[in-house]
Amino acid sequence: MTRAPLFVAVVVLAWLVWDTSADPVALARGLPWMFEFFRRMFPPDFSVLPSAAVAAVRTVEIALLGTTVAAVLALPLGFVSARNVAAPALFYPARGVLNLFRSVDTLVYALVFVAAVGLGPFPGVLAVVAYTTTSLAKLYSEAIEGIDPGPVDAITATGATRLQVLRFGVLPQVLPLFLSYVLYRLETNIRAATVLGFVGAGGIGFYLQTYLRMIDYSAAATVLLVTVAMVMIVDFVSSKLRARLI
Amino acid sequence: MIEVTGLRVVRPPDTVALDGVDLTITVGEFVVILGRSGAGKTTFLRAINRLVEPTAGTIRVDGRDVTGAGPARLRSVRRRIGMVFQQFNLVRRATVLDNVLAGRLGYAAQLPSLIGRFAGSDRVVALDCLDAVGLGHLARRRADTLSGGEQQRVAIARALAQTPAVILADEPTASLDPQLTTTIMDILRDINADRGLTIVVSQHQLEVALRYAHRIVGFRAGRLCFDGPPSAVTPAVVREIYDDGSAA
Repeated sequence: MTRAPLFVAVVVLAWLVWDTSADPVALARGLPWMFEFFRRMFPPDFSVLPSAAVAAVRTVEIALLGTTVAAVLALPLGFVSARNVAAPALFYPARGVLNLFRSVDTLVYALVFVAAVGLGPFPGVLAVVAYTTTSLAKLYSEAIEGIDPGPVDAITATGATRLQVLRFGVLPQVLPLFLSYVLYRLETNIRAATVLGFVGAGGIGFYLQTYLRMIDYSAAATVLLVTVAMVMIVDFVSSKLRARLI
Repeated sequence: MIEVTGLRVVRPPDTVALDGVDLTITVGEFVVILGRSGAGKTTFLRAINRLVEPTAGTIRVDGRDVTGAGPARLRSVRRRIGMVFQQFNLVRRATVLDNVLAGRLGYAAQLPSLIGRFAGSDRVVALDCLDAVGLGHLARRRADTLSGGEQQRVAIARALAQTPAVILADEPTASLDPQLTTTIMDILRDINADRGLTIVVSQHQLEVALRYAHRIVGFRAGRLCFDGPPSAVTPAVVREIYDDGSAA
């Protein structure tokens, strides 16, 4: 009897391998080509470093502005999506909206916003805001649902209004968590923003895609190195900040 | 001061926590509630300021209806009812003074309070109350850096800052050692004696109850089973309150 789940898992995996045309032989045949790809990247062409650096800064700006706006927009959404503070009439619609919007990734939003407002960093910012607002609201609401109800009771018992209870009983408990989530989202948004340029939504992804298309691998190598450095710097700063919050 | 008639609390789906309680407590009394875990002590105290919603019955505090009061009236009655909890229920990351200031929320103007602004008079009241429990020197400390006994004194100061007519204390010493139990109960007795506040405390320690109470109220399975002075608490009464019936 205990073997049945294992058998089912093997069958499903086998079907997945077949249906996705997963083929180790094809991968092995492609290996020399991949080595060739990396060989052509060296030496990197550092003449494109200034423009790549400017684009990297632009990418950080997209993530920073988008995350900041989303962090604020997510606040009311987070509270109305928390089962223990929101009235059911608000809670259920809010949860539904969150799950709907969160099911679409930043890159898909970027395609929509590029079509709406044209090429450049601005649709990138909008895409980051659209995805991050709902994902942060979900994280916020889970933090709110995990609070100690004791202080909420105590503040309620003083004759405080609902808003005062949220401000004095709930917010002090969740604020450090909120800030930590925002920083974590900033880190993931930097990564998401690197590919926004692929669809014309600004930042360093545009250069990477352009050089790859021009088969200028040594220039693409420089862009990749700048991207790696940028992500590492932001991760480092952000993790330092997060460590101080807890 | 507190008039409870026919109080019944049923928790969904069908747990009867309180089953028809009538009790009148007069101004300035120090009442201790005894009973086993689950007898309804906590539910009774929390129903008085409607942290628990009564299923049936009426409650009046300080001459005003608690049951049936709309949101605004309920808040204004709650201001007059200070509450102290077993787990202190301080906002741990906030300062001691901010915790006591929370006791003024029912009086503070809403919008300024939301950005943390309180009237100077509210701050004076809060600091006075901190001094009253002997912790004025800790006003700037973060609440979670204090010991358990100190946190409970801060919680009492928060209740006092409401300038209440009544203080309800739900097992205020259950998380504390015997010496701190005495400290906390002494503070409550002094508040009762010096300020004339009505005090209702639930206690699981019989000796402590007998030492401090003017009046003992016993709960058993959601009903009153004793009401009288400490001198009337005989071994038979103690059995009536605590025995589960299986030994008889």
